[in-house]
Amino acid sequence: MLYSRPIGARSTSLKQTVSAVGLVVFAWLAAASLQAHHSPSAIFDMTKHVAVTGTLTRVNWINPHIVLEMEARGEGGKVQQWTFQSNPPSWYKSVGLARADFAKAIGQTITVEAVKARDGSLYGYMDKIKLPDGTSYELVNNAEPK
Amino acid sequence: MRNIFLGVVVACAFVMQGVVLAQQTRHPDLSGVWSYAIDRAPAALKKEVNGQVTIQKIDQSARHGNASAVPGVRPSTPKPSYKPEFLAKVKDLADHESRTDPVFYCGKPGVPRIGPPRKVVQLPKETIFFYEDISGDPYRVIPTDGGAHRANPNPSAYGDSIGKWDGDVFVVDVAGFGDDTWFGEDGYFHTDAMHVVERLWKDGENLVWQATVEDPKVLTAPWVMPARVTRPATESLEESPKCVETDAPRLLNDDHHLQR
Repeated sequence: MLYSRPIGARSTSLKQTVSAVGLVVFAWLAAASLQAHHSPSAIFDMTKHVAVTGTLTRVNWINPHIVLEMEARGEGGKVQQWTFQSNPPSWYKSVGLARADFAKAIGQTITVEAVKARDGSLYGYMDKIKLPDGTSYELVNNAEPK
Repeated sequence: MRNIFLGVVVACAFVMQGVVLAQQTRHPDLSGVWSYAIDRAPAALKKEVNGQVTIQKIDQSARHGNASAVPGVRPSTPKPSYKPEFLAKVKDLADHESRTDPVFYCGKPGVPRIGPPRKVVQLPKETIFFYEDISGDPYRVIPTDGGAHRANPNPSAYGDSIGKWDGDVFVVDVAGFGDDTWFGEDGYFHTDAMHVVERLWKDGENLVWQATVEDPKVLTAPWVMPARVTRPATESLEESPKCVETDAPRLLNDDHHLQR
């Protein structure tokens, strides 16, 4: 099933609320120091989180941000073309991820969590991705694992 | 007679080798790969597979920070001192940095903004700096044979460099700049009169880099930049993916942040 929804539309358990707060904190920190660019807050509403599930159609491994494109279905089943940017390629290289780690899911169903563009377009800053094999990657504060 | 000739040749070869080794060992060897010295998102990557969580942190040791306690670091100031007539221009550029900074739009950072090199190859008569940058992957061939700057170099972002040793410090004198880069955040524009001196040395296993910027046309005094310290790295350099800036039309405010 392909769909997009605001994270706030999920059940509001405490755990999920905490997770959402964590995303806000992360996004703010990320905004403080991305490589050679504007702050994400200049484009994205850092309080407006969405989770989008759909088919990954393209992985563009470019500077200053990697870009993932996805086809999802919105309300009423209308097909939507989503675009997500994320940290720079050099950042992903430093944590051991390459384009192939994402591109292997092209044509398959993934879920992306992101903050949404202020201009209302289907554009977001990705901070979590869940791949078809169940693997998920999430940008989090630079903290030790719990 | 033939044996004498061969003996002389062999002896000369040993002498030449000794000279080369002496040249190479007289100074610290800065050769090697050094950590990526830019400010990166202070985030870690959380990976979850079948309930197993691992967190991959990134090395942020080379971030802008206080390296003043490192031996050899010269006192610096956070900001350059512009002549009064240029203060309004600097402020305006800084206020609208996300729209005016060339680096935001895949432009070259140039020297000194690019910071310390990612890789150094130190040879007897020249030292080569390699970089990874979103604008491309520049390199600089820095002669160390005692020669002068090239006459009338074409203006460039990375300038014309000559190197020499001051004790254990490698000193790179850079001139021949254009005027279309910034030498730092916050609207630090310069003219073609900019002159930069970079100093690099070892602190234990780390590489220390500190630059001084002069531009008598716009600055009241040389600016000693805060030093950067980079750790040895093991990963190889990689061609940087092309840079395609598409966000400009979406900018709804002037928020920006520290970068190079």
